[in-house]
Amino acid sequence: MKEVIRHNEDTATLKFQNNIGGFPGQFIMLNLYDHEEIPLSLSSPKSVTVRAIGETTNALIELEPGSIVGVKGPLGTSFSIPIGKSLIIAGGIGVAPLIYQNELLKSKDLKPDFYYGARTAEDIIYETENMQISTDDGSRGSRGTVIDLIESKKEEDIVDYSKIYCCGPEIMLKKLYNLFSKYNILNRVEFSIERHMRCGLGLCGSCSTDNGLIVCSEGPVFTGDQLDL
Amino acid sequence: MLEVDLCGLRLKNPLILASGILGSSASSLIRISEHAGAVVSKSVGFEPKEGYKSPIIDNFKCGMVNAVGLSSPGAEAFEEELKKLKVSNNSNRDTPLIVSLFGSTPDEIASLTDYFQFADAFELNLSCPHAEKVGLAVGSDPELVEEIVSEVNKSTNKPVFAKLSPNVNDIAEIGKAAERGGADGVVAINTIRGMVIDIYSRRATLSNISGGISGEGVKPVGLKCVWDLYDSLKIPVIGGGGITTWQDVVEYMLAGANAVQIGTSLHYSYKMFYSIKESIKAYLRVEKEEKIENIIGKAHV
Repeated sequence: MKEVIRHNEDTATLKFQNNIGGFPGQFIMLNLYDHEEIPLSLSSPKSVTVRAIGETTNALIELEPGSIVGVKGPLGTSFSIPIGKSLIIAGGIGVAPLIYQNELLKSKDLKPDFYYGARTAEDIIYETENMQISTDDGSRGSRGTVIDLIESKKEEDIVDYSKIYCCGPEIMLKKLYNLFSKYNILNRVEFSIERHMRCGLGLCGSCSTDNGLIVCSEGPVFTGDQLDL
Repeated sequence: MLEVDLCGLRLKNPLILASGILGSSASSLIRISEHAGAVVSKSVGFEPKEGYKSPIIDNFKCGMVNAVGLSSPGAEAFEEELKKLKVSNNSNRDTPLIVSLFGSTPDEIASLTDYFQFADAFELNLSCPHAEKVGLAVGSDPELVEEIVSEVNKSTNKPVFAKLSPNVNDIAEIGKAAERGGADGVVAINTIRGMVIDIYSRRATLSNISGGISGEGVKPVGLKCVWDLYDSLKIPVIGGGGITTWQDVVEYMLAGANAVQIGTSLHYSYKMFYSIKESIKAYLRVEKEEKIENIIGKAHV
C-alpha cells in the first residue's frame, strides 16, 4: 500500500504500489491480514475507494502506507466502451468504479455526462467537468436524489445515450431499472451490482442473484436485460 | 441413455451437483438443475452458523483448498430458501433435491429431516475436514457413523446417503458401518486435508490455516476409494472428487460409481453439466453401449 488518501470521516482511496490493471467495474479480493478478505471495486488501475461500514473497512481506511495487503484479481466483468454519447449515474460509494470508467473514457476523448448523488456535500469524493451533483440535504448541487435528476430529464434525451453506466445503492438501481425498462433501453444500461461475496471465485454461491446469476464470476457488471431487479 | 436409478430416485443423468458449490441459494440450484441429474444443497445444521472469515477458498495448480466452516442460515431459514425449488413455476423442479445435513449428535442430525419434507433424499456430511466436532470427528468413528445413519433413517422414509471422508485409515470400514446403519448409499469422497502458503506474505492463504483439497489433484484418490467401496459394499456408491472432464466421469463409473458428484470444476464453467452430459452420450455411442448403467463397475474384471 503506497498511499491512503482520506476523503472524509468514513471514506478513503487506497493506492497500491503496483498497477493492478483490469478495467472499470472489475474488483479485487483484498485481504487485510488478521481481519478479512473483502471485495472492492477498482477506482483506478492502482486503487480502490472504500467506505468504512464494518470492522475490516474501518481498519482499511486507517491503514498506514507501506502496509502489505493481499490482492486477488482483477476479477469479474467490466463496463463497456460506448460508441457515441454515454451517461454515468453514481450514488454514494457506488461512484468508486465509475471514477475509473469516467477517467478511462475521458482519456479516449469520450466525455460522458456524469450524475452523482450523495447524502451531503461532505460525502462528495470526486468531481469532474460535465458533472451534475445532488445531495439529500441540498448542501451541494440540487436537493434530492440522483433519481430526481434523471427523472427531470426528457425521455428522448435519455434514450439518446448509447450506453448508461450505473452503480449505487440497491434501491437506486431498482428505480433506474424500472425507469429504463419503461424506456425499453435495458440492453444498453450497465449495472454494477453488489452482493455479499464469500469466495470471489464463483463457487460458494453466496452472491447469487434472484435469477441465479453469480455476481462475483458473471458480474458484477450486468446489462439490464440480464437482470430482474 | 443417461438415465440412472439411484435408490429409487430417477436421475435424468448420473451427474450430481456436489454439496457446498452454488448450494446456498435456491436461484443458483434451480439454474444448475436444468442439466444436472440431481443437486445437493449446502450442508445445513440446526442453528445458524457464521462460518470462517474470508479467505475461505484459495486455488492452486491442481485444484482448490477451502475452509468455509459449514456456514449455514440454520434449519428454519434454509427450509424457506430450499422450498423455492419445489414451487410449480420452477420448470426444473423434477430434478431431485438432496439436502445435506450436519450435526454433532445422532439426535441432532435426525431432527433436521423434519424441516425438509420436500427433499428427495438426504446426504449426511460426516466428513467435513475443517469443522470441529461436527465433521471428521464424527465420520472417522464407525460406531458413531452407524448410529447416526440409523437414527436419520428412522426419521425419514427418503433415501439416506452417507458422505465419507478419505482422511481415514480404511474408508471401506466406515462405508460398512454406514451400510449396517441402513444407509441407502454412500458418497465418496469429501475433501482431503491440506493447506496452501503464500510465499510473499508468508502466511497460510486460508483464514482457518488449513482446509480441504478438491479439484483435479484429488481424482486418483477418490477413484481408489470408490473402487474399494464398490468391492466391500452392497449399497450403491456415488463417486466424486476432482471430476473436470467427461472422461473422469467414465472412470468413476467404471470403478463402480452409480452416479457422480461434480463441484470444484464449476469454477471453469457453469455449463459443465451440459458439456459433460453431451460428451458422455458420444462416448456411449462409440462404445456401442445403450445405457450408461451398463458400464458401472466394469473395470473390476
